[in-house]
Amino acid sequence: MASIEIRQARKAYGTFEVLHGVSIDIPDGEFVILVGPSGCGKSTLLRMIAGLETISSGEIAIGNLVVNDLPPKKRDIAMVFQSYALYPHMTVAENMGFSLKLARRSKAEIDQKVGEAADILGLRPLLARKPAQLSGGQRQRVAMGRAIVRDPAVFLFDEPLSNLDAQLRVQMRSEIKALHQRLKTTTVYVTHDQVEAMTMADRIVVMNDGKVEQVGAPLELFDRPANLFVARFIGSPSMNMLDGRIESINGVTTFVSGGFSLPLADSSTGAGEEVVLGFRPEHLSLATPDSTAQLKAEVVVMEPTGTETLLNVTADGHSFLALFRERLEVRSGDEIMLSIDPSNVHLFSKLTGKRL
Amino acid sequence: MMTIAVPNTATRPKLWQRLSFANKTDLVTRILIIAITVALLFYILLPVYWMLKSSFQPNQEIRVLPPIWFPSEATAQPYTNANRLIPMWRYVLNSLFVSVTAAAISTVIACSASYVLARFRFPGATIILGLILLTNLIPAITRVFPIYFFIQDLGLLNSYAGLILAYVGFSLPFAVLMLRGYFISAAPPELEEAALIDGCSHFEAFWRVILPVCLPGIAAVAIFTFLNAWNDFLWASLLLNQGEMKTIQVGIGDFAQEGGGVQYVNAFMAACVVATIPALVVFVFVQRWLVGGLTAGSVKT
Ligand SMILES: Nc1ncnc2c1ncn2[C@@H]1O[C@H](COP(=O)(O)OP(=O)(O)OP(=O)(O)O)[C@@H](O)[C@H]1O
Ligand SMILES: [Mg+2]
Repeated sequence: MASIEIRQARKAYGTFEVLHGVSIDIPDGEFVILVGPSGCGKSTLLRMIAGLETISSGEIAIGNLVVNDLPPKKRDIAMVFQSYALYPHMTVAENMGFSLKLARRSKAEIDQKVGEAADILGLRPLLARKPAQLSGGQRQRVAMGRAIVRDPAVFLFDEPLSNLDAQLRVQMRSEIKALHQRLKTTTVYVTHDQVEAMTMADRIVVMNDGKVEQVGAPLELFDRPANLFVARFIGSPSMNMLDGRIESINGVTTFVSGGFSLPLADSSTGAGEEVVLGFRPEHLSLATPDSTAQLKAEVVVMEPTGTETLLNVTADGHSFLALFRERLEVRSGDEIMLSIDPSNVHLFSKLTGKRL
Repeated sequence: MMTIAVPNTATRPKLWQRLSFANKTDLVTRILIIAITVALLFYILLPVYWMLKSSFQPNQEIRVLPPIWFPSEATAQPYTNANRLIPMWRYVLNSLFVSVTAAAISTVIACSASYVLARFRFPGATIILGLILLTNLIPAITRVFPIYFFIQDLGLLNSYAGLILAYVGFSLPFAVLMLRGYFISAAPPELEEAALIDGCSHFEAFWRVILPVCLPGIAAVAIFTFLNAWNDFLWASLLLNQGEMKTIQVGIGDFAQEGGGVQYVNAFMAACVVATIPALVVFVFVQRWLVGGLTAGSVKT
């Protein structure tokens, strides 16, 4: 058990800096997920925590001990790789017991620990097999087993489920979550799967281009994205964006974009400011005659999934997504009137991208 | 919980059923395939068999026409004879010593070099690889004089060390290229990283994980070097051609010139058998290492 503190960590390959000063505090026992677009430095950060990459500057501490100069084996961590990286020449049991063997534990203790982990993960019948004789899901489980046998202070996962099929991924997702609830080991987990991040994390760290954009609980990020990047990144289907400016109309702070205007519930934004209005597809509804802010839109594509209906519409030359719980009798080319719920919109400064 | 079938010996199909053409219904095809295989085998094995049976026959019997295919009275006399005419066993030991040493040295060097070339990017790595490739493009015969004089200048003519040095040099380019490919494909960096995290030092990770995983490739390189050295005649005859230190191949060459092929055919054949057998034995014993598949499943590709 240990907390992790990352202070102004930077990583450069030669002159090319990929992490520009990342600071994250992870309390003991927390399940933190790193998300972000491909190439933003998630794996790099994870590997720096693991000790597989050097830290160019800044500090990483595990359990209040600065580990910058410690080799991986001294950091008391376990890591599950995307490719599993099982030792092909060892059986499942040997794979799982390898770290204990290196630590010169007794044969009996190794057997007992491996047995316990195998029971948790349902690997008992497979202990004598070699990795080549396992299915993808079973290999994944062995990789997890190898990590938990050691009872480390920190678990590190780098996209552990991305090689599994959709069904197995859902199953393993809840198994990992259950495992965390049981072991309460501090965990850092990298993924670029939205759903994984939202469902598993205590807190999510959204990264972009080597920087942390926002850290927060899943719903916090969803409800109050700190900037345009997080707003676009979190949530699926993603948030609609509309450029415009704030004007004061009859004393009411109003968002105006072309022919569309939306009186805002919150009046703290100064008139004249260039802004971006964000609203989620599910916060669009079919307008009733007395709706205030109406948007005339043309349906481009309709995608019914059974539980929901997703409309791809254009209005004023902008394209939007609209998501409805109910089933709709509309067709491509139909004109519909939509209204936006003003209490569920997000305003961002066009200049800085920050939330207003 | 899903399970997958693992073949066990009980349910495994018989050898006959496992032959790929056994399940084809077309009888003509089957017969054709078998006929061609037998013909090929005959073609390949006939000279070998001739050598083998002649080495157990009295000389008169070898010369008879029509040929006698099965020695009427097998005798090991030709072998003792051969050893009287040339120091055959001494030559074999020489060959073994030179080949094994060359294989060992070049395997160790190739392992280290190719591991570094596979793992680390450093300035000049591409140039090194290019140069290694280049050496394979130069016709072997053009190297004869430079290397001869080089070894002479080193004062290593007619010494084991000179010949070993030459063999190691010749085998390294191929060995490094092949092992580098093997390290890259069979032992991805994550494997080593997993070992580091599990508590290995860099050396332990190499020794306990990378090396065992890459054993088939390493064995292949070692055997390849051994066989090349064992079968070599050209360099051995140039660099080490005096007295008792000759290798068996050179010894046989001398034997042939000194009338072995005419007067002592059976003894000569015996020497040839002796020169062939170690290569065969080595191949049979280590063949299982050459079969890949050991690494399958470590990393999902
Ligand atoms: N050895 C290296 N030398 C130079 N640049 C590197 C090296 N390793 C990674 N990078 C760069 O660092 C950046 C971050 O890489 P990283 O693997 O951390 O991305 P990631 O967020 O994990 O992406 P993904 O989701 O695709 O796995 C990338 O731009 C990558 O090109
Ligand atoms: Mg990555």
